[in-house]
Amino acid sequence: MVKDDTILQVKDVSYRYNDAQENEYVLKNVNFNFDLGKIYAIKGKSGSGKTTLLSLITGLEPCNMGEILYNKQNIKEMNLDRYRNSEIGIVFQSYNLIPFLNTLENITLSMDINGKNIKNKKEKALELMESVGLNKNMADRKILKLSGGEQQRVAIARSLSYNPKVIIADEPTGNLDKETENDILEIFKRLAHEENKCVIIVTHSPNVANQVDVVYELTKPKK
Amino acid sequence: MYIFKNALLSIKRNKGRNILIGIIILVIACASSIALAIHNTATNLIKSYEDSITKEATITFNRKGMMENFDLKDKETMEEAKEKFDEIDAITIENVKEYGNSDYLEDYYYTYQINLNGNNIEKVSSDFSFGEKNDRPGKEDMPDEASDFTVVGYDSVNSMTDFINGNYQMTQITEDAWDKIFTGNYVFINSELAELNDISLNDEIILESNEGDTYSFIVLGIYESNEDDAEQMDMFSKSSNTILTSADYLVETFSDQEDIHANVNPTFILKSFDDTLKFQDELYEKGLNENYVISTNEDTALESVNSISNVSSFATTFLIITLIIGAVVLFVINMINIRERKYEIGVLRTIGLSKLKLTMQFVFELFVVSFLAILIGTGIGASCSKPISNQLLASEIASSQEEQNKIDNNMMGGPHDMKENNNRPNTRGIVNIQAYDSINAVVGFKELGELIGIGVILVFVSSLASLISIERFSPLTILKERS
Repeated sequence: MVKDDTILQVKDVSYRYNDAQENEYVLKNVNFNFDLGKIYAIKGKSGSGKTTLLSLITGLEPCNMGEILYNKQNIKEMNLDRYRNSEIGIVFQSYNLIPFLNTLENITLSMDINGKNIKNKKEKALELMESVGLNKNMADRKILKLSGGEQQRVAIARSLSYNPKVIIADEPTGNLDKETENDILEIFKRLAHEENKCVIIVTHSPNVANQVDVVYELTKPKK
Repeated sequence: MYIFKNALLSIKRNKGRNILIGIIILVIACASSIALAIHNTATNLIKSYEDSITKEATITFNRKGMMENFDLKDKETMEEAKEKFDEIDAITIENVKEYGNSDYLEDYYYTYQINLNGNNIEKVSSDFSFGEKNDRPGKEDMPDEASDFTVVGYDSVNSMTDFINGNYQMTQITEDAWDKIFTGNYVFINSELAELNDISLNDEIILESNEGDTYSFIVLGIYESNEDDAEQMDMFSKSSNTILTSADYLVETFSDQEDIHANVNPTFILKSFDDTLKFQDELYEKGLNENYVISTNEDTALESVNSISNVSSFATTFLIITLIIGAVVLFVINMINIRERKYEIGVLRTIGLSKLKLTMQFVFELFVVSFLAILIGTGIGASCSKPISNQLLASEIASSQEEQNKIDNNMMGGPHDMKENNNRPNTRGIVNIQAYDSINAVVGFKELGELIGIGVILVFVSSLASLISIERFSPLTILKERS
C-alpha cells in the first residue's frame, strides 16, 4: 500500500553487473518505500549492494530490472540531470566538494546548476551554512582548509541549497568521529522531522541505525 | 551564465596548463597567419598578374597526336596517314569568325597570310627562304618552290602584335598610313627590304603569283625589326621579306585564286585560362577537326610568377601541416587536461550538471584561451609575415638563379656568354623575368577572419576530446576511484 506521503519507491529492483554470471545478483527483488518526514537507514554488510542501490535511486546507474518511482513517476522517464539538481540532494562519504572553490561557492554552485531563479543566493547559502553548524566567516575559506566534519556540513548545505524533498547520504559519517557523527545526524533528523524531508542514509554505523525512524537491511542475494 | 563564470575561474585556476595551451595555439596562430598572409598575398599577386596579361589561345595542329596512330615504318600506313592529313581542312576566315563568337572570349583577331614573288623588287636574301613549308593541313596544293615574300594581312590594329610587343618599330610612315592601311592595297615593308630596293614612302611595289599574275601595293610605312635577336643567324632579320597589309584586302583579292594558298592564323583572347578546355570543346562542337588543339600562352605567361607561386604553394603546405600537428597536439593536451579534471567532472555530473553544459564549459575555456592566443599570435605573425615572405621569395629566386647558372655553365660556360650568343635555346632570364621580387604579405581583415575561423575549428576539433571523455566517464566510477 502506497501512502500519500511516500515520495520514493523501490519496486522489485534487481541489479547484476554486465560481466556477472546469470544468477549472480548484487540486488534481487528489493522493495522499499520512503516517506516524507522520516529518516531511513539502509544497512548491510560490505557487498550487500547498499551503494549500488543508492546509485540506482539517484539515477547515477540505470535501473534495468524493476522500477524506482519518484513521486509515483519512474525516474527512467525523467530528465535525470534535472532529477539530481532539483528533486534529490546527495551527500557522499568523501564529501565530493570542488576543492578550488570556497565554501560559499560550493553551495551556490548547486543553486546555479539547479537553474531555478533563486534570489539572494549568497544570503541563502550563508543561512544554510548556519543551519548546518558552520560559522559564516568560513564562507570564503577553501574547502581543503576545512576539517572533515566541516566539509561534510558544507556537502549537506550544498545538497539543501535548492530545497530538494529527498536527501540521500552515502556513509555520511564514515570519516567522522562519534561527536561529529551525532552532530551530523542531528542535522538530518531536523531536516526530516522539522522540514518534512525524506532522508535516506546508507550506513554501517549501529549508532546511526539506532537513531533513525526506519531501518532497511540489505543482504547479499543467494546464488 | 555560471558555466562561463566557472570556465573563467577554471582558466585562472589552471594557469600553467592554460599557458601551455596558449603557447601552442599562439605558435600555430603565428605560423598560420604568416602562411595565410603569404598565401593570400601571393595568390592575389598571381591573380592580378593573370588579369593583367593577355590570355592568348591559338589553334595548332596536333601532328604528334595524329602520327601516334600510324606506324611510321610501314609505307602503306604512311600513305594512309598522308591521305588523312590531306583530308583535314585548313581553317578559313569564316571558321575563325564563327569560333570567335564565344562566351569564353574577350576578343579575337587573325592574320591572313599568302606568299608572293617579287616583280619590281628583289627579296633580301637569296640564300634564305622564309616561305612556309608544307607543314600544315590544307596545303597539299602548295607549290614546292618557296616564294620570295610573305604577305601578312591583319584584320585590325589589335592583331598587329609584333608592333604591340615591340618586335617591329615604325621608322618611316605617311601621315595617313594608319587610316589607310586597312582599306586597300597598302603595305608596310621592312627597312632592309626598302634599303635593298631603294623604296621610299608612297612608292609602288609589284608582286606576282607563281602563275605570273601581278599585284600592285603602295608603301605607307617602313618598319625595323627588333625580333628574335637571340635566334638570328643571318645578317638580315627574319622578317625582312615580310610585307604587312590588311587581311580584308588580301581576302578580297586572293581568296578566289586557286594558285595562291592562304594561311589563316587566328588568335583568341580568353577571359580566363581556366576556360581553355571548354573553349576547345566548343570549337570541336562547331566543327573544328579534332586533330587541332588549342594552345595558350599560359605557361610562358605564368613563368614570370613561378617563384611567387612556389612560395605560395610552400605557404599552403606549411599551413596544412601546422594545422594538422596543432590539432593533434591540442587534442592530446585537452585529453590529458580532461583526465586531470575527472574528479571535477564527476562531482558536477553527480550534482546534476548536464553533459551538454559541461562540454560547453570546457569548450568555452579553450575558446577564451585560444582567442587570446590567436590575437597575440596574429599580431606577432603580422609583424613577421612581410620579412619572412620576402626572405622566402628571395631564397626561391636565388635557388632558381642557381639552377639557371648551372644550366648556363653546362651549355656555354656562363650566363654572360649566353646572353651574347644568339644561336641557342633561350634559357636566360628566370630571375630577370620574374614579375615580382617582393611579397608585401600583410595580415588584413580577411586573414584575421580566416584565422579566427581556423581557431574555432581547432577549438572544436580539440574539444572533441572533452566531448568524448564526458560522454564516456561514469560519474559514479570517477567518484569511487577518488574515494
